[in-house]
Amino acid sequence: MSVLRPLDKQPGLNTATILLVGTEDALLQQLADSMLKEDCASELKVHLARSLPLPSNVNRPRIDLIVFVVNLHSKYSLRNVEESLHHVDATFFLGKVGFLITGAGREGHCSIHWNTVVRLARTYRSPLLFCDLEVEGFRATVAQRLVRMLQICAGHVPGVSALNLLSLLRSSENPALEDV
Amino acid sequence: MEKQPREQAVTEPADSGAGGEEGGSPQVAGAQTARPQDRLTLLLRLRAQTKQQLLEYKSVVDANEEKTPEQIMQDKQIEAKIEDLENEIEDVKIAFEIKKLALDRMQLSTALKKNLEKINPKTSVLMDNMKHVLKLNKLIMKSQQESWDLEEKLLDVRKKRLQLKQASEGKLLEIQTEKNKQKDDLASMENSDKIKTIQQNLQMEIQITTVIQHVFQNLILGSKANWAEDSTFKETVLQLEKNLTMM
Repeated sequence: MSVLRPLDKQPGLNTATILLVGTEDALLQQLADSMLKEDCASELKVHLARSLPLPSNVNRPRIDLIVFVVNLHSKYSLRNVEESLHHVDATFFLGKVGFLITGAGREGHCSIHWNTVVRLARTYRSPLLFCDLEVEGFRATVAQRLVRMLQICAGHVPGVSALNLLSLLRSSENPALEDV
Repeated sequence: MEKQPREQAVTEPADSGAGGEEGGSPQVAGAQTARPQDRLTLLLRLRAQTKQQLLEYKSVVDANEEKTPEQIMQDKQIEAKIEDLENEIEDVKIAFEIKKLALDRMQLSTALKKNLEKINPKTSVLMDNMKHVLKLNKLIMKSQQESWDLEEKLLDVRKKRLQLKQASEGKLLEIQTEKNKQKDDLASMENSDKIKTIQQNLQMEIQITTVIQHVFQNLILGSKANWAEDSTFKETVLQLEKNLTMM
């Protein structure tokens, strides 16, 4: 399939799947390991991909959360993410997509301005996380956050849905009443 | 740029309860009593999860039922429909913002309550701020009350002025009507028949008197008496010369 749809498959019992899309393989692998180390009541599955569309011959479970990882040091990662965004169905953006920005710590190496990614997140109405994935402590923290988000997006937390979380994550800087 | 995307899957059950007990090392007897408990909690958790997922799917189905009309409609109808939908969206957004504000307020108040319970309430800056706020509020209320009273007084004065104006208007109207009535009476009086008959009577009397006067005159002249010597005669004759109509 060329377009990822959020609810076209049945959910696995007690399973939550996250898809990490990004060009930095090493960082993605480290993030995946940190996430799996987290203590979580549900079974976690982490899929890594360089870009979308995903090959259709693989049998994969329903994807609950997509996180696009952009490295501020390379323009290529941003372009890659932008192209991959076309292969995601619009209904995914109702809380099941997040952007993770890495590399903001070293200002001198940044070739992308952080305002670009802020605008990107605002266009797609999705939450934006900043984290330096190379530092162990920050990586563990963001892994914890992602695991919690994943649980909510997979429907494992009663009373909170992905759309709820999206509304709650909106900071006061970009209120929901901004025009379309 | 056709790149073959590479994908890997990494799986790991993080909870022993989820993976089940198959292939596990032999458990201690004490742990066996914990296993049905674990199973029960697992079942309850799965139940909650399935409920939540069912809710999500239901909401998606409900959202998809409201389809945009496929048939060809006139432009104006389409525009009206678009406006309605936009208004709906705005209403929902506003309601949501209000609810969010209410939630924030509740969160803030609970956080404040907890903070107050922790710290010594008498010495903190927060209490000073709150006392200041209370003082200002009292001042505001007092001045608002005063301004309200003054406004009331102003309103009363205005009402009285209005009443006086209305009374004077009524009086002037009365005066005008009276004057008009007088004028009408006068005009009618001049044309009434009574006056005419009286006038005719008057004329007749004047003529009779004139005739009588002429008779007296002629009598005196006919008697050949010397009326110039006697003052009373003189008076009568001279008086009778006057034309009575000119009297």
